[in-house]
Amino acid sequence: MIKSLKLKVERLKSLSKILLPLVFCLLSLLSCMEWDYGLEEEFNTSTSGDGLFICNEGNFQYGNATLSYYNPETKVVENEVFYRANAMKLGDVAQSMIIRDGIGWVVVNNSHVVFAIDINTFKEVGRITNFTSPRYMHFISDEKAYVTQIWDNRIFIVNPKRYEITGYIDIPDMTMESGSTEQMVQYGKYVYVNCWSYQNRILKIDTETDEVVDELVVGIQPTSLVMDCNNKLWTVTDGGYEGSPYGHEAPSLYRIDAETFTIEKQFEFKFGDAPSEVQLNGTKDKIYWINDDIWEMDVTADRVPVRPFLPYDGTIYYGLTVCPRTGDVYIADAIDYVQQGMVYRYSKDRMLLDEFYVGIIPGAFCWK
Amino acid sequence: MIMIKMKKLHIILLLALMPFVAVSQEDDIKWYLSLPEIPIYAERPIKEIGVQQTKFDSIVLCENIALSVADVLTFNSSIFVKNYGRATLSTVAFRGTSASHTQVSWNGMKINSPMLGMTDFSMIPSYFIDDAVLLHGTSSVNETGGGLGGSVRLSTKPAKNDGLGLQYIQGIGSFKTFDEFLRLTYGNDHWQTSTRVVYSSSPNDFEYRNHDKKENIYDEDMNIIGQYYPIERNRSGAFKDFHFLQEAYYDTKKGDRFGFNAWYINSNRELAMLTVDYGDETEFENRQKENTFRSVMSWDHLKENWKMGAKAGYIHTKMNYDYKRDLGNGVMAHMIQSRSKINTFYGNIEGEYYIGKKWLFTASVNAHQHFVESRDKSIIQQDGNQATVGYRKGRVELTNSVSAKWRPIDRLGMSVVVREELVGTEWSPVIPAFFIDGVISKRGDVVAKASVSRNYRFPTLNDLYFMPGGNPDLKKESGWTYDAGFSFAVGKEGLYSLSGSANWFESYIHDWIIWLPTTKGFFSPDNIKDVHAYGIELKGDLDVALSKDWNLSLDGTLSWTPSINEGEPRSPADQSVGKQLPYVPEVSSSVTGRLSWKTWSFLYKWCYYSERFTMSSNDVTLTGKLPEYFMSNIALEKTMSYKWADISIKGAVNNLFNEEYLSVLSRPMPGINFEVFLGITPKFRN
Repeated sequence: MIKSLKLKVERLKSLSKILLPLVFCLLSLLSCMEWDYGLEEEFNTSTSGDGLFICNEGNFQYGNATLSYYNPETKVVENEVFYRANAMKLGDVAQSMIIRDGIGWVVVNNSHVVFAIDINTFKEVGRITNFTSPRYMHFISDEKAYVTQIWDNRIFIVNPKRYEITGYIDIPDMTMESGSTEQMVQYGKYVYVNCWSYQNRILKIDTETDEVVDELVVGIQPTSLVMDCNNKLWTVTDGGYEGSPYGHEAPSLYRIDAETFTIEKQFEFKFGDAPSEVQLNGTKDKIYWINDDIWEMDVTADRVPVRPFLPYDGTIYYGLTVCPRTGDVYIADAIDYVQQGMVYRYSKDRMLLDEFYVGIIPGAFCWK
Repeated sequence: MIMIKMKKLHIILLLALMPFVAVSQEDDIKWYLSLPEIPIYAERPIKEIGVQQTKFDSIVLCENIALSVADVLTFNSSIFVKNYGRATLSTVAFRGTSASHTQVSWNGMKINSPMLGMTDFSMIPSYFIDDAVLLHGTSSVNETGGGLGGSVRLSTKPAKNDGLGLQYIQGIGSFKTFDEFLRLTYGNDHWQTSTRVVYSSSPNDFEYRNHDKKENIYDEDMNIIGQYYPIERNRSGAFKDFHFLQEAYYDTKKGDRFGFNAWYINSNRELAMLTVDYGDETEFENRQKENTFRSVMSWDHLKENWKMGAKAGYIHTKMNYDYKRDLGNGVMAHMIQSRSKINTFYGNIEGEYYIGKKWLFTASVNAHQHFVESRDKSIIQQDGNQATVGYRKGRVELTNSVSAKWRPIDRLGMSVVVREELVGTEWSPVIPAFFIDGVISKRGDVVAKASVSRNYRFPTLNDLYFMPGGNPDLKKESGWTYDAGFSFAVGKEGLYSLSGSANWFESYIHDWIIWLPTTKGFFSPDNIKDVHAYGIELKGDLDVALSKDWNLSLDGTLSWTPSINEGEPRSPADQSVGKQLPYVPEVSSSVTGRLSWKTWSFLYKWCYYSERFTMSSNDVTLTGKLPEYFMSNIALEKTMSYKWADISIKGAVNNLFNEEYLSVLSRPMPGINFEVFLGITPKFRN
């Protein structure tokens, strides 16, 4: 009996030599991660004068869009200001931003949301949700704005005061699948919209009736739209792509008279070029665009300049803006699209003034 | 601000190794000799000279019916599984490479998507696999080309039953998850048949704290008066997966074996909304439906010193992806309506010839003919007619190999493999591989191994032809891989066995294909990067018979796999050169422990992934942070044997410590969850 008991004790001892380390091992695994979150940073840029917001798209489906803020005077950039001020993410694909009365409206495409933020503190003041796939926002009045969409054949009408969707503008001859409405400019009571993806039209919308009243056919896939000091609309097409059932052609820059809604001038590029991002300077008498190089042209010019404003520098420029006050040109370089992009700042005399890293895929700018 | 407090990693790793140390010091323990099945000295087959491989036994594969092969790889190998959510796309990074650099075969037939190049391991129930082997780096050249990271060989095999057999398991778990498994077998001297069915379904609406967004509280004038992080449910994540596998094997007992395998998958999965999605889930539908049929017929002719085999197979896959939204009137309108069809015909002939015990010659020819149709979008053309954006292509993929394996003396073996591939109309250069191994010490069965190989991976059909963005001018990726390591095995018959291996590898991959956005608003692939992946893989397995009734086994892996971009900078501002590739952890580890006592068994599974960078520059930002994480699962099982049936009851706890973690940005993962399984295996009078 005693012998048997001893044997059992011996066995237990032997067993414990194996099991004890295992138990320690398991207990040590109890130490797990803890998330610490919720810290909000205080900003106040109300005294800084000029300021430039940069919408960094982030990678589609990864929810890593960010907002950067650059002070041209001090040359200081603050990245991730939305996250830092609000302790939450901006979302998936920050598409564009506009400012009205001290409120910045950031359109976050694949998050189906438009955030309203205080442009000095970057704190959220409200949001409009449940868009299909919002692209750009344009204010008609304090209580009415349009939000264009991709993958939808409607433009959403919203009440920015109440942060709610109030109606829709149906776009004729457009399906949901190939629906695409983009940038908006206003002339009188009419808003003009370029239709981009598998489209070739500029729409004219009556803001009193919220209906499309006219349309103008341009080339394949007009990518952007601005209006110069002479009330001329400028759009540039990308010409589609090889193999597209919608067609593939040489892209063009168009000057359109807003009053008569007719094409005044067409500047054709080489087949295979991919121009984009038509922008204006502060006095709206020069236009700029990207076509590998950065180009500048008077709005009254009859032909495209022979030489670019800034030559191609071995990288694909993704975004462009011109400071309305100084005329400095800002160019976004997305580099490999999975790292912090770089923004180059040039004077109107082509001198490099500054360069700074922002977020992933800097695509859109907004001046304070 | 997010801060992650990781504690005691090094201590954990040290403690994880302690049982090994403890055992090695206990030579004189007088345990009962009750485990005659514990293998100690494994014979080194001449076919596996110099091969670095990880084998998964049936205990691992059949641990529970709710597991996919993605789960098995996560907890039992050094592979990083990139998991987009529960029952969602799961791809692998083998030795720091991308998902399409791992070649996957099922019963010899390649099952990587010819469109995407990768394999979704969440779509492979582990209960459907009887034999799984990872072939690391160069070792994959023995089986196929294109495995720049390695390959995964999945197989079924005859059940070896005599008479009728039936097994049914029902699993009920958290989030209204139901898993059902049925297997019917019949066997006699010549025939073995098996029918397996798995059905899994769940609304998959687990709760999680959403760190990425806040809900606002407004006053009457729409001023924000409060904010909070919402406790949300996983939205739009439901799934219903049905798998059916029919097998039949016939053995003439005169050297001929015939096999037939047919596997049907019907999967209906919603794609869960991102954590940063502010859409109303009731107004959106984001769904992927897959119907896949795979079948292989095989014939093997075995003689004393030679073997010949042939296989024929067919794969049909129909994949529908729909993204819809409610227009406000209850009508769900399509935003995206993507359709793809793949038909693949497969053929294989292979032979082996032994000259004595010293020489083995092998030759094989593998052919896959793909026909792919991809329709992505319906548009209205400029003339008002409808058209479809997509492509329709066919491609033949031929891979031929010959090998000579030589073992001049018992302690030394060498092997040369020469492979060549034809993809479309382009031949790859010759793919050579050389393997060598040698017994350094018979005591401890210490074997050193080394190998080197060249390899190529051709662009996928989407890389070449996807509309829009496909780039028909892409070059094939190429690489050199070097492997060296050693393994050992010690033990005492019926007492314990301890085996382990350490392996170093270097891999240089050129013209790595990456999809990047274009100025035209879509993505397009290009040969961008040169990548240097290298590292160390450690493995250890311990089986101990603690006493007559107590058995313990511990299996562990640890790998350190830097995967460095060594390409040219894309612009002067490029900070990615010399940095770790995004979404590839440098360190990963797994430990599985099993303790059994009589008819009870306890299982503990643990895995660890170091921080994954989300940027090629390796910058860590507040928005792009993917912290390291540990994951622990446990299971307790009791089996009961009656005259009429064997019964098993199992309870499993996943994410034991209720970790809040992410595998991929903005993809929520479930916290602690439970599942109970009841299994019954009736005993028939055969």
